Amino acid sequence: MSERSEVTIKQSTAAREAAAPPRKEAPGVRISGLTVVYKTPAGELPAVRDVSLTLEPGSITGIVGESGSGKSTLALSLLNAVQPPGRISTGSVEIDGLGDVVGFRGERLRKARGQHIGYVFQAAQNSLNPLKTVGKQLLDLGRSHGVDDLRGLVREAKELLGRMGLDGARVLDSHQHELSGGMRQRVGIMLALVLNAHLVVLDEPTTALDMITQANILKIVREVHAERGLTTLVITHDIGVVAEVADRLAVMYGGRLVEQGPTRQVLAAPRHPYTRGLIKAIPRLVGDIDEAQALPGRPPTLVTVPKEGCVFRERCALRMDVCDTVDPQARVDEGAYGPRIVACHAVTVKERA
Amino acid sequence: MGVIARRLAGHLARGIVMILVVATISFFIVRSIPGDPVAANVQKLIQQGMDPVAAEQATRVLYGFQPRGTLWHQYIDYMSGLFTFNLGQSVSHAGQPVTQVLGEAAKWTVLPVLAGTLLSFLVGIVLGVYAAIKRSGKLGDVLAISGSLLHGVPQYVLGLLLSAVFATLIPILPADGPVDILYEPGFNAGYLGSLAQHAVLPVATYALAAYGGWILAMKSSVVTVLGDDFILAAELRGMKRSIVFRYIARNAILPLFTILALSLGLLLGGAVFIERIFNYPGLGLLLLDSITMRDYALMGGAFLLITAAIIVANILADLFYSVIDPRVRGGEEVST
Repeated sequence: MSERSEVTIKQSTAAREAAAPPRKEAPGVRISGLTVVYKTPAGELPAVRDVSLTLEPGSITGIVGESGSGKSTLALSLLNAVQPPGRISTGSVEIDGLGDVVGFRGERLRKARGQHIGYVFQAAQNSLNPLKTVGKQLLDLGRSHGVDDLRGLVREAKELLGRMGLDGARVLDSHQHELSGGMRQRVGIMLALVLNAHLVVLDEPTTALDMITQANILKIVREVHAERGLTTLVITHDIGVVAEVADRLAVMYGGRLVEQGPTRQVLAAPRHPYTRGLIKAIPRLVGDIDEAQALPGRPPTLVTVPKEGCVFRERCALRMDVCDTVDPQARVDEGAYGPRIVACHAVTVKERA
Repeated sequence: MGVIARRLAGHLARGIVMILVVATISFFIVRSIPGDPVAANVQKLIQQGMDPVAAEQATRVLYGFQPRGTLWHQYIDYMSGLFTFNLGQSVSHAGQPVTQVLGEAAKWTVLPVLAGTLLSFLVGIVLGVYAAIKRSGKLGDVLAISGSLLHGVPQYVLGLLLSAVFATLIPILPADGPVDILYEPGFNAGYLGSLAQHAVLPVATYALAAYGGWILAMKSSVVTVLGDDFILAAELRGMKRSIVFRYIARNAILPLFTILALSLGLLLGGAVFIERIFNYPGLGLLLLDSITMRDYALMGGAFLLITAAIIVANILADLFYSVIDPRVRGGEEVST
């Protein structure tokens, strides 16, 4: 099995080099000051507020957060695809080789999606047209992006599917209802990559999959990322997924990025009280189950999130007076493995002392 | 294709059983209506001085069936006649076979109903898509409200209204009848033109009465599909607008085909009011007349035809569905 897949890897690498497509590089992405608001009866409320995040070329970044923390909205912003009643109100998303996609409209935006940025949907969602075979949808995708060599596209798709352990010809001939959750997810990854996109966003790639399939998909994500030279963003609520694949970890809470840094450093020594709470809430394989402690309280919603001051203060053990009125500024520490950033008054005070 | 053939066989078997059941029920119900034209005719002949046996024989010659004999005998005769498409003879049409009388009337119902329904289906579908896409704008509101209004007005009220406006107030269209008698029937411009002119109001009534339902059904179907993940997924993959639109349309129209087939079947029965209003010699009017005349055979035949139309429409809808929806096609499923 592993021998066979190695052979496939070599073949596919060789095939790709022989075909010599316009070699795209893994792009860097700079999100700065991004705010996304949703129109509600109570006015426009921010789901993502003043978020700045850099994806280094060739890196895998993981964004962790609870439901409603704004992580999916942030992911959609990368494709300028925030759905109404939401909209990007301020900020920019600079992608190398493309520019600021926040300004993209119409055909220019459509072509960027798929060709430059691949989006992989949550596994539980049905991201395929139920009435058409995967192959026909692949051809629709090719025609949408003016691919002349449709045979080549099908070949590439089969290769990708084979690379992920599927029978490409058979999958292309199948309808969505004939595929399992894990197979659908791999089809989703194939469709995101088949046009040679080098920036890939995976939104909850393993949610609703069983443990074995989950491990398989993560392995595939890591391998494909390395082989094809991608910049990858993984959105998840499962800190285990990030630990598994990501070089860098960003923690989101109430629409804000509260902490980010190299995955290992953040997991080993979390600084923000929310990150600490998250990690403490994970049950260990060894030891008492009661050691896992859930964070008290519940995450804020669009309506209940504080308009000023720290978004986490209601659940925070380190709350101070200043937290009620002043937004904690992001504090950047450059390290050997990249910057560590934390936005917390308590951390800043402690370190200054 | 094997799957579809097997499906068809199953449907046909079930359809035939249903038709037999309906034939049985309608046979007994029709005959329990008070008033018996055959007995009346025998009595009439006896009173005219004929002896009873001769009177019965004369009646049999006239109507072509056994006037005496138990109900069961008649039932068995009737049912065995069904298998040779012999539905008996019509008392009110001088002993013509019922099938012939029905066939004669059917063309006046089927064509206008088909035209009206398909017209409203097409218009309703297209406007329904617009109503869904522009649902937060004025155009969407106007379309949806027009749909609700028309959907709420009964067919016969629409028919009377159209008749009052276009045949009486502004007499630009003929009020009743299928065609002007001054034209020679056949393929000549005058006859066909007159046919078309007479068909305008009935067809418009069928179309207007159904249009509201289509626009509302299509709107809600499109809105549902628009919220489906695969539409957003297609957009995020940078699919062309025209392709995404096709995805939406094909998925949204699917449930409407079932309604279309069913409504075609039902409209044969619903034509009663419209044909009455426009004095159109179709199945509806025939059914009404046969009830007034206590023409058992014709009544039974008309009921049977309406039932058969609904059953056939159902079968067609299901078969069509299995052609256009791969999920219904069944066969070997890997998993879900």
